[in-house]
Amino acid sequence: MSADASDLSLVRRVQRGDKGAFDALVLKYQHKLVKLVMRYVRNPAEAEDIAQEAFIKAYRALPQFRGDSAFYTWLYRIAINTAKNAVVSRDRSPVEYDLDRNNNDESYDMQGRMKDSETPEGLVLTDEIRSTVNAAIDALPEDLRTAIVLRELEGLSYEEIAAAMDCPVGTVRSRIFRAREAIDRRLREVFEGGLGRAEELG
Amino acid sequence: MNEELDSQLSAMFDDELLPAECELLARRLSRDEYLKARWGRYAIVGAVIRAERGVRLNAPLAGRVNAVLLAEPALAAHTAPRDRNRAPVRWWRPLAGAAVAAGVATVSILWLRTQAPLPGAQLAAGGQSTPPTATASAQGDSYVVPRPRPAAVAVPSTELANYVVAHSMFSTPVARRNLLSAFMTSESAGAGTEEPQSDVKAIAQ
Repeated sequence: MSADASDLSLVRRVQRGDKGAFDALVLKYQHKLVKLVMRYVRNPAEAEDIAQEAFIKAYRALPQFRGDSAFYTWLYRIAINTAKNAVVSRDRSPVEYDLDRNNNDESYDMQGRMKDSETPEGLVLTDEIRSTVNAAIDALPEDLRTAIVLRELEGLSYEEIAAAMDCPVGTVRSRIFRAREAIDRRLREVFEGGLGRAEELG
Repeated sequence: MNEELDSQLSAMFDDELLPAECELLARRLSRDEYLKARWGRYAIVGAVIRAERGVRLNAPLAGRVNAVLLAEPALAAHTAPRDRNRAPVRWWRPLAGAAVAAGVATVSILWLRTQAPLPGAQLAAGGQSTPPTATASAQGDSYVVPRPRPAAVAVPSTELANYVVAHSMFSTPVARRNLLSAFMTSESAGAGTEEPQSDVKAIAQ
């Protein structure tokens, strides 16, 4: 399986003038990027502004992207530089974390950072969405729950999950899909049920 | 919606779809708002599982980016980087050009040499076999004595020199230097044939 083939196919479409493909990339990485930028700025709204700027810079620089590295790695560097520049230009001190400990953004000390961001305005994930997704995950059969958690939380590939769960790769793919479908069904009800956030997702 | 399509979307989200299938689905994803919304919810599910609690999952970030990009020109097709598989072909092009230029230059030099034989070769030939004086007396003119070349012969030589130099512009510096030095050698050899006839006759005798 070609790593990053999914992103690369979207990137190639954007490079050929298809802006809609860039939407898909933003949707996929917006949360990761905001979370990444929040290492540098405390305010989630400011982090979103910086992430937005990073996405726009990435779009403009996309003709120079050759696919030598993964798209997210490239985007990650743009976001880091944008965040650093924003911090310098606004004369603010970055939140001090040990970035060198794990420079790949996902597994730094989340608990320590949570205290900084969980201000009233920092509690950005609505309870409805979070509780709905968590409830849906709890309701999943064990094999589906394990598969989706290994994928999303641990970042394992299908092949690694197959080895861990002692089943074929095709079964892993099916389990993850069914898990997502079950969760998405509940999540869609929340968005379509009057909370009025469906249009905000895109 | 087609369950197989949704299954492919899930696999694509995880970078676990075959590249050829990715190409097809990316095309559809970029245009299909239903698929895009589902794709966005897959991202939310992942963020919740990873407990990205400092991030607003209902933030309209994608919509804001999209609004800004609406004013941007679409990236032109010609700006897209070329397929990396074609890079080696491009790499050989200068070499192929240099090889053609070198070939033309070599043919030109060989042709020049046939027009103006080296005097050394003539002398070597004269040192063998029958004494040159006998031949010279039989034919009236010694074969080691170059006949006076008509002025018209110099014209194609000059044209060829220009031709060779022009083609050598496409070759590498080393090849160009070799070519020019070879050409100069042939020119000086040609000049050597115009030595005073008395010297040549003295050798012949």
